[in-house]
Amino acid sequence: MEYNKVTDEVVDKLKAICGEQYVTTSEPLRYSYMARGIMGLEAVLPEVIVRPANAEEVSKILVLANENLCPVTPAAGGLSGGFALPAIEPGGIYMDMTRMDTLQVDVDNRVMVVEPGLKSGDAWRIFKTKYPDWAPPIPDGAPPAATVLGDAIERGFSLVTGVYGPQADMIMGLEVVLPTGEIFRTGSWALDGAKPYYRWGPGPNPDGLFLGSQGAMGIITKAAIKMVPHPHYKTVVAYGGKNWEDIIEPAWLISKHEMGIAEHTVMVQGGNWPLVMTRWPKTNVPLDYEFYKKIGLSEYWMNYEIWAWTKEEQEYVMKGIDDIYKSYEAEKKTECPQWKLHPKQIASRLKKPNKIAIPYALWEAGFLFITWYTPWKESTAMMEEYCAKMEEYGFPPTMWVASIDHARQAIVMPILCFDSTEQGIYERIREFNLDTTRSFLKKGWLNYRPDPFVHAPETFSRTPEYYKMLVKFKKVLDPNMILHPGRLAMPWENVTGLPYPGSGGN
Amino acid sequence: MTSLEELRKINARCIHCRACQYAYSGEPDREGETEEYTGMLQGCPAGLYFGWEGYYNSGKQWMARAFLEGDLEPSKELLEVVEACTTCGMCESQCENYIDTVAVTEALRAAIIEAGVEPLDKHKIFGVRVHDESLRNPYNEPREERTKWFSGETDNQEVKVAYFVGCTAAYRQQQIAEHTASILKKIGVDFTVLSDEVCCGSPILRTGQREIFKEVMNENLEMFKEFDLLLFSCAGCYKTFRNDYPAMSGGPLPFKVRHVVEFVYDLINEGKLKIDTEYAKKVTWHDPCHSIRHVGLAIEKEILNNSDNWLIDSRKAEKAKEAHFEIPRVVLKAIPGLKFHEMYRIKGDSFCCGAGGGVKAQFSDMALSTSKERLKEAASTGAEVLMTSCPFCVTNFNDGIKALKKEEEATGKDLSAVGSKLKVVELIELLDQLI
Repeated sequence: MEYNKVTDEVVDKLKAICGEQYVTTSEPLRYSYMARGIMGLEAVLPEVIVRPANAEEVSKILVLANENLCPVTPAAGGLSGGFALPAIEPGGIYMDMTRMDTLQVDVDNRVMVVEPGLKSGDAWRIFKTKYPDWAPPIPDGAPPAATVLGDAIERGFSLVTGVYGPQADMIMGLEVVLPTGEIFRTGSWALDGAKPYYRWGPGPNPDGLFLGSQGAMGIITKAAIKMVPHPHYKTVVAYGGKNWEDIIEPAWLISKHEMGIAEHTVMVQGGNWPLVMTRWPKTNVPLDYEFYKKIGLSEYWMNYEIWAWTKEEQEYVMKGIDDIYKSYEAEKKTECPQWKLHPKQIASRLKKPNKIAIPYALWEAGFLFITWYTPWKESTAMMEEYCAKMEEYGFPPTMWVASIDHARQAIVMPILCFDSTEQGIYERIREFNLDTTRSFLKKGWLNYRPDPFVHAPETFSRTPEYYKMLVKFKKVLDPNMILHPGRLAMPWENVTGLPYPGSGGN
Repeated sequence: MTSLEELRKINARCIHCRACQYAYSGEPDREGETEEYTGMLQGCPAGLYFGWEGYYNSGKQWMARAFLEGDLEPSKELLEVVEACTTCGMCESQCENYIDTVAVTEALRAAIIEAGVEPLDKHKIFGVRVHDESLRNPYNEPREERTKWFSGETDNQEVKVAYFVGCTAAYRQQQIAEHTASILKKIGVDFTVLSDEVCCGSPILRTGQREIFKEVMNENLEMFKEFDLLLFSCAGCYKTFRNDYPAMSGGPLPFKVRHVVEFVYDLINEGKLKIDTEYAKKVTWHDPCHSIRHVGLAIEKEILNNSDNWLIDSRKAEKAKEAHFEIPRVVLKAIPGLKFHEMYRIKGDSFCCGAGGGVKAQFSDMALSTSKERLKEAASTGAEVLMTSCPFCVTNFNDGIKALKKEEEATGKDLSAVGSKLKVVELIELLDQLI
């Protein structure tokens, strides 16, 4: 697919749309948007950056881009920090959505409407001061500059995911600017004057085309998202284990009934001891488990964040969890000791948003989160295989896992700690990614946010009918293929040399 | 480590999380007294003023990386973006990957200039003047008049304590030098000032002119090497000696250094000094970035650099940093009658006055806008006095207040809620009046 360069004439038209001060071709400023880290390692230099103020400006930019066949990459804050959506191929117009950062809250209907630039830190502050009995479902573990909408539209992880499911499940309506410039709303919101109270009306609902499209199908300029009640009896309990099964199985036993105890375990997440070690410089921290054992760290652990309305309710949940662990220990003849968490450890874990996910670059100089979904009980096998492969490829086996929707699914996330200044490191990561991706896809596990060069082509090679359907939709919505080329492996030939799906691919 | 190349691996730790854009990025539940000042708050003066990602540290780290990779060529355009930063270090306070953000920014500035790009106009003038042996100061003042303000014996080699005056107190705010000398006499310090003293080099180092900086640094190190202790009234000179001289010279300082406020703190702490005179005013305190945040961060990193277990020692390092942040507060609380009201953004999360890093000279609109943002925060405490201890903070705040007063005159509006009625007081001057 060939695109045109952004000409001076196009830049002038962009300035006429957004105002001169919100358009730049400055080379240094363009480089400042090139982020390779956390959620993706690929980025190319955009040709122009534009910062629209509203959906109408977004629409006009897209019409202009179509007229001139210029690619467009929309981005605000992303899900786990970083600009999660750098331009990948080719550069084109980069749409920085951070100016669109409003938040509207409807307490009666328990919905908040966010624009793409609203950051988690700001949402949390606004709720804290104005709506203390409610919480915005911001991404957990993501830094304050991650955006609420970026997380939601990527079907990411929120602070209540253990109960409510992935963030995309909280969507009640979207305002979308299509690649050709039309603006429309989904759900009951489509009806002029109606509130976003019914996701599926007037039906059929197209949200799924945009959620997880990584900006390739349309630009979401507003999302109505459920907000959640915020009870203030909160605590965290944690239990250790000797292996992955010791943390996965009890969590399933606790979560499977969904009601009762599991209603209160809004966040269930765990990992292994390297998750602690690799937060520090490799040269300035003990590398042997014995040290971590001495400071009370289990080799594996799961923690449960509990939200309750009363102290009694909280104690009931804690006792319920403890009872299940005790019976699991007896049945499996294993040991899953409860940790004695210091109040500061609990307070640290309860902080939202927080910076828990950031310091893995200290280990050497860079890291990558790779995120997969599996059925909950299969996560044990996945993590065992993943950790072995990480060590085989020379990475520490740092692994994190969390429950989605009462342990229906697991989000399994290896944290690949590496030295980004090392020659050939990106090739090594690619090989590792290819190796594990091919193995996992055969087992039926899916990357939840497929990167354009490995996960997406490998996955779609195995789902040719699905991919062809996606391409059909894409062509209807985006006939000139201007929106975020490369994402979702569209156009195919832009990102991979694999055979086109269904034409001899494996 | 001082060159951009030496900082390559530290720069490579940036994952563009952008936590560095926020004060209190790790304290989302921090309680403030007003809705405006609570939780996390934007804290980068340049980012707030210009809006583009490249003006925040998060963008600058990626520009530095592109420069290191050879993708981004040195240019005036690049230098203009990189110089528009007060190097206040708010970003560095936030970074969970312990990136020396200010060192990277300053090294990038230097690398651009060393690649042949001319320093920006106003910065170049500083450089030329400091380079001139007949001046050795950025204010274009005669070198022989440097100690004109001082009535005591200069160049006394018999004493072990020297007061490093700095260019601003020597030529522009001589009352600070006079008050400092007066305090030192009152508390019985036998000290001298040196007539050959030259600019510490701070504005030159900050703006990337390292060759000239090294000249004056070496002159100062040679000149003061026989003293046991150097005292400072200027936050910028103090930080430059304490943090930058060892890094840039590659060796430890041959003398101890202390800011006068720290020296007074030591005496109060040791029970050797008690302030009896009352100061019955409602006061808020602005932490000068140089003497508070930068020194605190350096204390923390010095502990970590000597540690083989950061997991354990990071807490100790943080405590030592926090103890440094308390110093001016202990001094203020030792003043009878003073009613102390903290601003919201303080200590490591303090919001810059807007003058540092060469910004006041080159980007005066940004400096003024930043000053007003901070004045508004100071006024929100209900204080009548905005206290600090840095000549640049004092000047920039006074400029901000002047601008607000002008606005009041032009519009007839009362802007006291955003700081027009604040009085800026240098703590050293006050201490001299009270001791």
